[in-house]
Amino acid sequence: MFEHVLSVIIFLPILAGLLLLVTPASKTIARFTGLVISLATLVLSVDLYAGFSATGHLEFVEYIPWVQSLGVAYHLGVDGISLFILMAGSVLLPMVYFVFSTKEKGYYANLLIVQGAMAGAVCAADMILFYIFWEIMLLPVFFMLGLYGGPKKLPATLKITLYTIAGSLLMLAAIVYLGVSYHAQFNEWTFAMDKMAQLNLSGRVAVFAFFGFMIAFAIKIPLFPFHTWLPDAYTEAPTAATFVLSAIMAKIGVYGVIRFVVPVFDEQFARFAILLAYSGVIGMMYCGIAAIAQKDFKRMLAFSSASHMGIIALGVFCMNMQALTGSIYQIVAHATSTGVLFLFAGILEDRTQTRTIEDLGGIASKAPVFALYFAIAMLASVGLPGTSGFIGEFMIILGAIKFNTAVGVLAGTTLIIGVCYMLWMFQKVFFQNTTPTSENFKDLTLVEGLTFLPVIILIIVMGIYPQPFLSKITPSTALHFAQNESVVAHQAVTTHALLPELTIEQK
Amino acid sequence: MIHNYLLLSIILFCLGIVGVISRRNVFTVFMSIELMLNAANLAFVAFSRFHENMDGHVLAMMVMAVAAAEAALALAVVILLHKHKSKLDTNVFSLLKG
Amino acid sequence: MEQSVNYLGLIPLFPLLGAVLIGLVHVFTCKKIKVPEMVYGILACVGPVLSFIMALKVFVALKALPAESRFLGHKVFTWFSVGDLHIDMGFLADPLSCLMLLFVTLIGSLIHIYSIGYMGGDKNYGKFFSYMNLFLGSMLILVLGDSPVVMFVGWEGVGLCSYLLISFYSEDKQNVLAGNKAFIVNRIGDLGFVLGMSFLFWGIGSQGFDYISLKANVHHLSPAIALTVGLLLFVGATGKSAQIPLYVWLPDAMAGPTPVSALIHAATMVTAGVYMVARFSFLYAHVELAGSIIAWTGILTALLAAIFGMFQDDIKKVLAYSTVSQLGYMFAGVGVAAYSAGIFHVFTHAFFKALLFLGAGSVIYALHHEQNIWKMGGLKSKMPKTYITMVIGALALAGCPPFSGFFSKDEILYSALASGHFGIWMVGVLVAGMTAYYTFRMIFVVFHGEPRDQKAFDHAHESPGVMTVPLIILAVGALFAGFLNLPAIFGGDQIVSHWLAPSLTEHHPHTSIFVEILAIGASVVAFVIGIKIAYTKFGQGASEPAFSGFTKFAYNKFYVDEVYNAIIVQPYKAIGSSIWKVLEPNVTDGPVKAASKLYMAIGTAFKVFQVGYVRVYAIYMIVGLSIMSLFLSQSLN
Repeated sequence: MFEHVLSVIIFLPILAGLLLLVTPASKTIARFTGLVISLATLVLSVDLYAGFSATGHLEFVEYIPWVQSLGVAYHLGVDGISLFILMAGSVLLPMVYFVFSTKEKGYYANLLIVQGAMAGAVCAADMILFYIFWEIMLLPVFFMLGLYGGPKKLPATLKITLYTIAGSLLMLAAIVYLGVSYHAQFNEWTFAMDKMAQLNLSGRVAVFAFFGFMIAFAIKIPLFPFHTWLPDAYTEAPTAATFVLSAIMAKIGVYGVIRFVVPVFDEQFARFAILLAYSGVIGMMYCGIAAIAQKDFKRMLAFSSASHMGIIALGVFCMNMQALTGSIYQIVAHATSTGVLFLFAGILEDRTQTRTIEDLGGIASKAPVFALYFAIAMLASVGLPGTSGFIGEFMIILGAIKFNTAVGVLAGTTLIIGVCYMLWMFQKVFFQNTTPTSENFKDLTLVEGLTFLPVIILIIVMGIYPQPFLSKITPSTALHFAQNESVVAHQAVTTHALLPELTIEQK
Repeated sequence: MIHNYLLLSIILFCLGIVGVISRRNVFTVFMSIELMLNAANLAFVAFSRFHENMDGHVLAMMVMAVAAAEAALALAVVILLHKHKSKLDTNVFSLLKG
Repeated sequence: MEQSVNYLGLIPLFPLLGAVLIGLVHVFTCKKIKVPEMVYGILACVGPVLSFIMALKVFVALKALPAESRFLGHKVFTWFSVGDLHIDMGFLADPLSCLMLLFVTLIGSLIHIYSIGYMGGDKNYGKFFSYMNLFLGSMLILVLGDSPVVMFVGWEGVGLCSYLLISFYSEDKQNVLAGNKAFIVNRIGDLGFVLGMSFLFWGIGSQGFDYISLKANVHHLSPAIALTVGLLLFVGATGKSAQIPLYVWLPDAMAGPTPVSALIHAATMVTAGVYMVARFSFLYAHVELAGSIIAWTGILTALLAAIFGMFQDDIKKVLAYSTVSQLGYMFAGVGVAAYSAGIFHVFTHAFFKALLFLGAGSVIYALHHEQNIWKMGGLKSKMPKTYITMVIGALALAGCPPFSGFFSKDEILYSALASGHFGIWMVGVLVAGMTAYYTFRMIFVVFHGEPRDQKAFDHAHESPGVMTVPLIILAVGALFAGFLNLPAIFGGDQIVSHWLAPSLTEHHPHTSIFVEILAIGASVVAFVIGIKIAYTKFGQGASEPAFSGFTKFAYNKFYVDEVYNAIIVQPYKAIGSSIWKVLEPNVTDGPVKAASKLYMAIGTAFKVFQVGYVRVYAIYMIVGLSIMSLFLSQSLN
């Protein structure tokens, strides 16, 4: 383990991607480069994971002063919360190069850049640095969607770009507000995240800044009612971009809430948590119910993803340790299950040239391995015990019950809503008789089968033996709540207004 | 006494403005702009004399140099415009698109 | 208090490994080469049989311990631990789970052996056994789990296998729909289970969330939360064990292969709810209201299903409704706090219902997948072994003394009467008569009288030994299992109840001998009346009756499915498409669209100034400069 491992994880893919873009490399070289670089990143990340000692604090810290007059620094570090999002990206992205072998050079180059930028955003410990990576992250998605997207790519591209940029600007204003407030209170310029927790924010401007952050993250997650860019973008984007958006980028929104909003705006957060929790729960139900009306399986998965993100966000808003830990665990579980489902949807689309559910059928008998993989990912997505999806979902529901009975009960309906559309889709696509379109469906090739195998195994291992993963997360979440006692204390009085007789006594 | 100089300068400047606004021939517009520059030069020189220092003179020389450079560029642009549309009417050139 | 043994984890592991192995072999070979059926058959039976042997070992180990400390535990690893929440992947064998363990593995093994014959020639032979083994593994986790969360793993796992096996013949849309229905309805129940667990955890779970700790701390639970937990867990049980209002999936579940119906939808999985209530007897014993609700739900389900059962014409549907009805009895038993009686009925029911289903499977197999009883008839001469074993099963189901069903059912009815639930007892006796009627209606129509379909009759034949031997073993069980819990009035000493006592929190009410005789007498009379009516109507052969009025209403199952479809399924779909077609583009996306329209409008408004003439821009410049100079001169003054 060397000193600047985080910088390498961030900048190796970005530089490789830029290099590919400026040189006249062929498709094959681009794919090969992408594969090598992403595998190298994976090796580094695994090394990082092994060396991570779960103290709860930032580890592998790099600190280089940057704009000293404003206290901006090139400051990186990972803790148990960011580590898992970083790992999800590193583990999942190499698959894309294995599976999709015939795309343009820019496709692979942009994928590399977005990988680096996402790693940067989760490792950044300085708000300005975070903002820079946050913005860079969007650019490759913009290009991938605009250049290689489906037939209605332009409106979708415009919508996602404007939507996220609007959110980003609000966040920038809020970041500036935090820096200025810190200077006013402590007479020192800094944008370091860990110092912001000392700020004592109150008044109307703080509420505006709180919502500045919240809206930026809500758009990225996406949280109801800011999700409307999602169905179009996820459907029209090329598979890899959808995969990146759903599996990792959406999670960085949740990460942002955990990192910025909860520690800094503790008072405002406690005040609005119930509102946000309802937003998460309603989003889950709304998108989950809308999913059943979809005729396009990619769009159905898009709604499913939005639905699950509602639950993940809810876990953060519940302000207790089980729900938060469950959220972080579910982030990884959802990245593996839904991410893989989107890749499978890409494979289905590539082989049948259709995205319409009704056109397909009987694939289980034509492609048993594919059906098996798909079924495992699907079951993880609906939270079946024994797969990764259960642990997180259970803890979130558990935590939500403590937070507020009504929210908890509504959150529980995800068990039913998720299974309705998934089974319906599975029935139409994999069961019943084959249709002319699916008649000649080829099963996964050996390379594809081996590519997905680690993730499929990971889904099951994470469901059966989650404790090694959880033990890396819990010190950070415990510390998180130790630092934010006022939030936790505040929570005891705000909840259970609906059913006071069910109030669970604090131990 | 400066009033008279300034009055003349204002009159010249307004003549220039009216020329720029009302005339459609590119050359006339160009000459009107020159007229406005010279009105400004007159004012500079008058103030210079009034304050008894050389600052105004310096600026007047500067304006002349700029006007000369501008004339060189502007004439080149006019020739291009003429090549493009064979006309020197400003109303013809109402689109940025070439 | 709790002795640790390291082999408990192996019991579910054997079938699970079998499932993975068979599944992998099947998936990777099914497109290319055909693996001989015998390989799958042997692989599939190894796991269940090994588990059965281990279960016997557990039984012997428990037996050796003194009665009050009969607990064997094994914590394999820490499953997940966050803050106060600490869940071990742990297994617990106590008398209750041991009893379940024994009959689940025994009947599971028998049905696996039977399936070798029944499924012969199916192109997805391997897949079938993989699912069956997976089911058995999940069921054993359910039974052995030492905390509600571990139990939930098995609970959902058996639901999944049920789904997979119902939609086993997946080319037919109806089968897949039945599978979907089963999974979704089960999930509704599972929601209750998860919520119940959550409330229970926040109530007393932080001291430990395994059954032993929960039992020790249950008195800390406030009454309101205890009631909530009890009812929510029961919602889970109604889903899994097909009680009102969630029973609708079980009759449809008969779309699966018949051994599946026998194993999953009769003998084991559907009794999980009863097992769960008995597991939580320490909780339910404290909340009488929850117990009453359970008992009434159970007995009403028993009545409703018996009514439906009287008019079915599919042999498997008759048995399916009888299963729902018998499950209702079990819930009535555990609801009136007679947990051992309920569990004993689970035990005997597993034998005779598995026997009846396998017998029905044998008939269906002989008639080349004909399930309508009105196309059968006179089969007793053709299939004597099947006939005799099925009659034994039917007598047990109908509650004829001294068959097993009589003792267990009577125990439940007696407990209801003794604990003062007079209404439940009355309905129970009525249902007992109806049970006798519909069971023997089926037996008479299928086996007696003249053949209705001569061609099918001529081709009918007795099933092979691999199918009849399990039938005979089960028939022995159905005959004699009842004697295991012979009440004192017949000179027995209730072995099963005493065996179960350390696991359960129950009080045996002491009543006069008169009450006991009354209960037994009423049951016998009901049985005799039921069978008499069946004999007069169908004993000499009868043709398919036409239905009208109430019978038609009952034949169509009170249109419950249609009502559910109209008030739940269709509105749900309608909400889904209205969200997608109306709400999403107009309301939710409205502000976004409005924002873009606003920008368009502002742009259009300012467009008029952009005429493109240089002169006009010059005017703007001059006007602007003039205004600025004016302000400047103002500020200088």
